[in-house]
Amino acid sequence: MKHLLLSILGCCALLASAQQVDVVKHQRLLQGVEGPAYYPVLDQTGTKLLFASGAEYGLKLYDMSNDVVTRISNERCAGIDAGFDSDGNVIFIGQSINENNLIYRTGYRYDVKRAATDVVLEAQHGAVNREMGSRGVAIHGPRKSYASAQNIGTAVNVQGSNLIITVNGKQRSCSPVESYAGYLWPSLSPDGTKVLFYAAGAGAFVTDLNGKVLARLGNYEMPCWYNNDYVVAQNATDDGHQFTSSQIMLLKADGSFRHELTKPTSMSMQPTSAAGKIVYTSIDGLLYLMEISIND
Amino acid sequence: MKKNILFFAFMLLVAVFAVNNKVMAQEQPHVYINPGHGGHDSDDRNVVIPPFVQGDTMGFWESNSNLWKGFALKEVLTKKGYKTSISRISNTTADDLPLSTIVYLSNHSGADVFYSIHSNASGYGDATYINFPMGFYRGYTGQPVNPESARLVDALGPYIIENKSTVWSRQDYAIYGDWTFHSEWGTQGFGVLRGNNIPSMLDEGSFHDYYPEAYRLINHEYCWVEGWSFSQGADAYFGRLDMYDLGLVTGTIRDDRVERTDITRMLGADKRVPVDGAVAKLLDAEGNVLDTYTCDNVRNGIYLFKYVEPGFYTVEVSHPKYFTKTAEVEVKANAKTYQNFDLKRVRDTPPEVVEYSPVWGEDDAPVLCNTPIVLQFNWDMDTESVEDAFELEPAVQGAFKWEDANYRLIFTPDDAYDIDTDYKLTLKKTAMHGGGTPMEEDFILNFRTQSRNHITKLAMFPEEGDKVHCKAGAYVEFRCDSLLAAKDLYTLFHIYDKDGNDVDINKRNIRNNKKGDDYGYIRLSLLKALNPDEPYKIVVDKEVSDTAGLHLAEPITVNFTAVDAATMATQSLAIEEFEKVDDFTLTLPESDVDGLTGNLSLSAEKLFGNKSLQLSYTFPDDAENEIKVSMKMPPAGTFNSTDKVGLYVMGDMSFNKLNLYFTSPNRGVVKVPLTDVSFHGWRYVDALLDVLDDGETYVFAGLSLEKNGTVMGRNGAICLDNLVKESAVGVDDVSTRSNVKVMPNPASDYVVATADGYIMGVELLNAAGQVLVRNAANYVNVGDIPAGAYFMRVYTGGSVTTHKVIVAH
Repeated sequence: MKHLLLSILGCCALLASAQQVDVVKHQRLLQGVEGPAYYPVLDQTGTKLLFASGAEYGLKLYDMSNDVVTRISNERCAGIDAGFDSDGNVIFIGQSINENNLIYRTGYRYDVKRAATDVVLEAQHGAVNREMGSRGVAIHGPRKSYASAQNIGTAVNVQGSNLIITVNGKQRSCSPVESYAGYLWPSLSPDGTKVLFYAAGAGAFVTDLNGKVLARLGNYEMPCWYNNDYVVAQNATDDGHQFTSSQIMLLKADGSFRHELTKPTSMSMQPTSAAGKIVYTSIDGLLYLMEISIND
Repeated sequence: MKKNILFFAFMLLVAVFAVNNKVMAQEQPHVYINPGHGGHDSDDRNVVIPPFVQGDTMGFWESNSNLWKGFALKEVLTKKGYKTSISRISNTTADDLPLSTIVYLSNHSGADVFYSIHSNASGYGDATYINFPMGFYRGYTGQPVNPESARLVDALGPYIIENKSTVWSRQDYAIYGDWTFHSEWGTQGFGVLRGNNIPSMLDEGSFHDYYPEAYRLINHEYCWVEGWSFSQGADAYFGRLDMYDLGLVTGTIRDDRVERTDITRMLGADKRVPVDGAVAKLLDAEGNVLDTYTCDNVRNGIYLFKYVEPGFYTVEVSHPKYFTKTAEVEVKANAKTYQNFDLKRVRDTPPEVVEYSPVWGEDDAPVLCNTPIVLQFNWDMDTESVEDAFELEPAVQGAFKWEDANYRLIFTPDDAYDIDTDYKLTLKKTAMHGGGTPMEEDFILNFRTQSRNHITKLAMFPEEGDKVHCKAGAYVEFRCDSLLAAKDLYTLFHIYDKDGNDVDINKRNIRNNKKGDDYGYIRLSLLKALNPDEPYKIVVDKEVSDTAGLHLAEPITVNFTAVDAATMATQSLAIEEFEKVDDFTLTLPESDVDGLTGNLSLSAEKLFGNKSLQLSYTFPDDAENEIKVSMKMPPAGTFNSTDKVGLYVMGDMSFNKLNLYFTSPNRGVVKVPLTDVSFHGWRYVDALLDVLDDGETYVFAGLSLEKNGTVMGRNGAICLDNLVKESAVGVDDVSTRSNVKVMPNPASDYVVATADGYIMGVELLNAAGQVLVRNAANYVNVGDIPAGAYFMRVYTGGSVTTHKVIVAH
């Protein structure tokens, strides 16, 4: 009964706070220029786009201001977890397999101006993951780490089912939501005051910098900030083997509103957002740019 | 002493350093385990096998077995020194992690390989006799996106396929790229391989809709062994096969001969009953029991001894109802030792027949000529020795069928027994049960057969040489002396065209006999029109049987020809077209007969003109009653004894008699038998009028339908279209005796009729009596009529005259 009442209240809240969302721009990117493109990542200015190219997921950079695409790395899967540093350069992780078939992961930094790639973290076996901070990027490995700035500012990271929030150099680890499999897709709101992450089996959540849950957004994957108040995310279903639907959702960060930006049958996925732009890909690797207006 | 202590300490330091160096040299491989989908929802592959019902979480769910395999793999890999991650540790809907989530978790775990653990389903339903393992990597077969993924699959395959507890339908580990195997998905592929940035594979370990496998996959230990197999695959991939010292012993325990009847879809040894509750013991060389395993009661017979030191052992298997059996096994390091057992059931009394059929005595009624002989035994029997000991006098060819796990034998004669015959069955005492013990004495059974052993054809349409109207929907009907077994009966009737191709029947228009009918029948309707003037053939299989199982003595073959019935009359003139009900009077017998009914109506089933006249009727019994249809006013046209009269009749295969009546002022009414209505569809039937008095002129007065005196034709309906006179003589007669004239003749544009009185209308007919043109005036336009001979019918007040007309252009 209690659950029923809560559900009814939740629905009422959603209806009461209904906003008007209009798509003002929606276009294919790189049509006829590029093959399949996945895992798009926009930079803070919304003018540059990283994506994983082709079946092997090599890393490319698309400068939307001049329509130039640059290949950053041919390494297999280099494009799957790449990101921008706060200075606009690119951080990505490469892999190599040794004679015992163990994977060694290396941290790279691609200098956009020099068009050159440097190793910033030597190869090591085990998990090597990026952490995005307000002033820089860190790459953490089991033995060694790298940071692009001495203090990367306010930052958020996940380790298993721990949310690790760093503020003013002080690290706080918390587990605000129960999840055996772990936390994923952590990010900091543009104003640096809220944390967004996804707990496997539980859904997307917004917390404050102390790890206190502010809102549960629902079971939407790959959430990222649209602005300080809104989030875009992927809403996908599958049959255990393959996707059966996938769409891009707009979610209010307080959990009070959600809106379908694309239809479930569009098989749209892997959204990224910055500077009022949303870019996503389709299941067959077609990139789309979307701009919206929200009347609160 | 001090020196010794110092030396010992030094050696210890060296040893520790060496161990550390080894660890540094061989880092811990990390395996990410994805035990498939979680939860007990509609997409979690519940296979319903008895005794479990749909949705019972204790039954087979792929989400259960995948998880148990994953647990086992995690446990074994941990013992082997691996680091592991696993995407779920429980089986709830919340564990049904989305595909993108699983891939992200794998990518960020730091793992070196990714295994997605599944089982497969063919989806073929009862046709499933498929059970083999499959491994998938991302990409096209032979063209993996990541070559390391293909190596990972290659490394696993041998350890999955070596499973000897199951029965495989093919003996290799099938390896595919997911883009090839699921080409319908394009390059989408399996969701857990898409975007997975480490060597990754998806395994379908076996087919869970192969029922025996579903039972095995309910067993945790069976799943555990598959988990172990995965660990061996990982060892092979990482070059660590020699780094683990323990092995295992496992296998399946089955009855050595009793076949299972609880399920379908079984291959090889899976056809035999697994021994639930069997106890397996692992004994060392001294006979000490090292481990004991009791098989579950879920019909799989699986046993397992985990983590066994390499060496030689004895496995002893026992069950209260079976003889104990042992086997020597060798266990090797990091290997699976398979030892299956086929147990012999304890059968401690001689076999005997405990029930049988038919049970017959001298005072009993004879038995049906196809009665099967059923023998029920007290033990499961050795089928070969029983069949050898089975002697029936007089000898009869037949088939043996075993049921109830070989406790019951059914002998069915290939054909019927002879009629009115005493039969004697002797089952000689050489018949043995499954344990090899023979019967103590012969078993004797006697019975006498009835005086009928086959069904008899009463009638059929078409019969040999018949002509069948070619229109779509033509009927084929078979009748016999007992009610036919209706199930799939139509499949025993085959209709072929001249090239031997099947002629389709309309499966939605099949009529079979029903309970209470006086005779058996099936009526089929042909789906498409036949080709006129082409030969066709009907074959009725011998297996057509009645409800008692008696069948035809021999197959029946009938040849017939398709015709257009409308063209069957030549040089004829339509005397009556049967277009108006009001022209006729229906007369039932003067003495009231209860239940005798008749009705006249117009029918759209016609050959000529707009309608035909339908006579529907019911005869209350088989007495020779007669329903008469009289013309209120005789049509124009006369007949004499040299004429031939024809009528187009759509029959109902009633075998009732159709008669025509003619009348003359001087001689009164004469009845002319026309035909027995033994056919379906339109047919042209004719008769010579030589029963009429010579020199006398008659007119058509009507017709009658007369009951045939058999059980057939108690009700039905026939349709009548044109009545024709097969002589041109009468035409001129008519023309001559009237004042009606037609001109010009020959004509090329118009034919005009003149008469003393008012002409109500005219019709132009072809030689078959079909009306080609009708006009409510005194002329017809023949400008578009092909040149030839025609008839013009002229309607005047109270009479109709017919005139031969030549059209020439």
